[in-house]
Amino acid sequence: MLNFEILVENFFGILTVVPQTVALAVTIFILSILIGTVMALIQEYNVPVLQHLVMLFKLFLRGTPLIVFIFIMYYSLPGVVSFFTNLLNLDYNPHNMSPIVILIVAVSLTVSAFQAETIRASFLSVHYGQIEAARSLGYTPFQTFCRIITPQALVEALPEFGSAFLVVMKAISLGFMITVVDIFAEARLIASSNSYYVEAFIVAALMYWGIAYFVVTLTSKCESYLVRRT
Amino acid sequence: MDAPNTLEIMTLLLKVAHITFIILVVSAVLGLLLGALLTMINVKNIPVLKQFTVVISSFTRSVPIIIQLFIVYYALPPLMANFGINVSNMSATVAAILALTLYHGGYLTEVLRAAYKAVDKGQHEAADSLGYTPMTKFFRVILPQVVPVALPGWGNALIHLIHDTSLVFALGVADIMGRAELIAAASFGVNQVQVFIAVAVIYIIVTFLSDGMVRLFEKKTRKYKLDSGLKARGI
Repeated sequence: MLNFEILVENFFGILTVVPQTVALAVTIFILSILIGTVMALIQEYNVPVLQHLVMLFKLFLRGTPLIVFIFIMYYSLPGVVSFFTNLLNLDYNPHNMSPIVILIVAVSLTVSAFQAETIRASFLSVHYGQIEAARSLGYTPFQTFCRIITPQALVEALPEFGSAFLVVMKAISLGFMITVVDIFAEARLIASSNSYYVEAFIVAALMYWGIAYFVVTLTSKCESYLVRRT
Repeated sequence: MDAPNTLEIMTLLLKVAHITFIILVVSAVLGLLLGALLTMINVKNIPVLKQFTVVISSFTRSVPIIIQLFIVYYALPPLMANFGINVSNMSATVAAILALTLYHGGYLTEVLRAAYKAVDKGQHEAADSLGYTPMTKFFRVILPQVVPVALPGWGNALIHLIHDTSLVFALGVADIMGRAELIAAASFGVNQVQVFIAVAVIYIIVTFLSDGMVRLFEKKTRKYKLDSGLKARGI
């Protein structure tokens, strides 16, 4: 049966990598929102050529498992970057690029394709009368965007953002394939050192479960706060 | 091994595609059954068992699938040994199917439950007032209305499942990804990108085929969708 001493020991062992896992997830999450917004705007304003590229990219990501995309990035990103550094005559050797950077690029790109949909839908959900009202008050388009549309769109997007964060959190558990150490990878390392596999994986699972619970509670709190304000 | 060209890589990968395919189909079917069972327990409000379904669906959706795979593969045999059941020689493929079934079932519970709740209460009442037995009511009135609502969610769950089959190689299953890793490792860095692009192409084809299938179902079942009362009256 389960060895509780090991369980407790593993708990504190794995807890040490929780901050860096969460930090990695937050970085990827923010990047994915930025890239997703750009993609949504490109599609919304029908930017020529770019909108077709975005569409193709979305189709590709919808069909490709994340781990395959991570491997493609792992093996091709240094080459791609060195092509550009050679072109610009920069003194940077991308072949010792950190796997963390590769993981950040791969996961942000994947999640951003889904974020773009969320962001587009939440912008579209803002009533057109709101934009007309702002215009009639003499707001510039930029002011309308920042002061009228974004706060309302945010309320709409918040629950989706919560689950997107959890998707990122779970996605980076695949980083162990390219030697990035997060909660899962640490559990694996601990397990292979003391060969208590069950205990390590159960602790890791509980850790993810707790984080998911925390994030869900937090987003629903934020949501009710924002709903009251708008 | 010499560096094979893309066509050779494709043939090598397709030779093991049936393993991925079997895992996918079996866990999709079993997962759907499990999801239906969990949903039934949930909507019938069966005490204790209901809380169990909530825990399962929360767990499967909160924990990365790779951990679920490892837990089933490593934890199930010692756990079963406590009950005197010996599954210590469970193959990685069986463990993968079990884990994916559990994951797919837990995920589908949310989809199916929402679809079940979307059926208007009046439909239940109308069927009851016409003297339908619970069986007839379910199969002739409720289910046809649940299916079109549940289909888009089921389609998404299916795509997740297809993508997640790409992780079973971590348990040592010699599927498409397992073979791809071998080819990539054996080619001394020559064509790793090619190998994984070939894998991506296979997965993209499978994803779009399943997407097309779900869309076809959606088209076929559209006629069972009842407009809500307000909408039918144009309000």
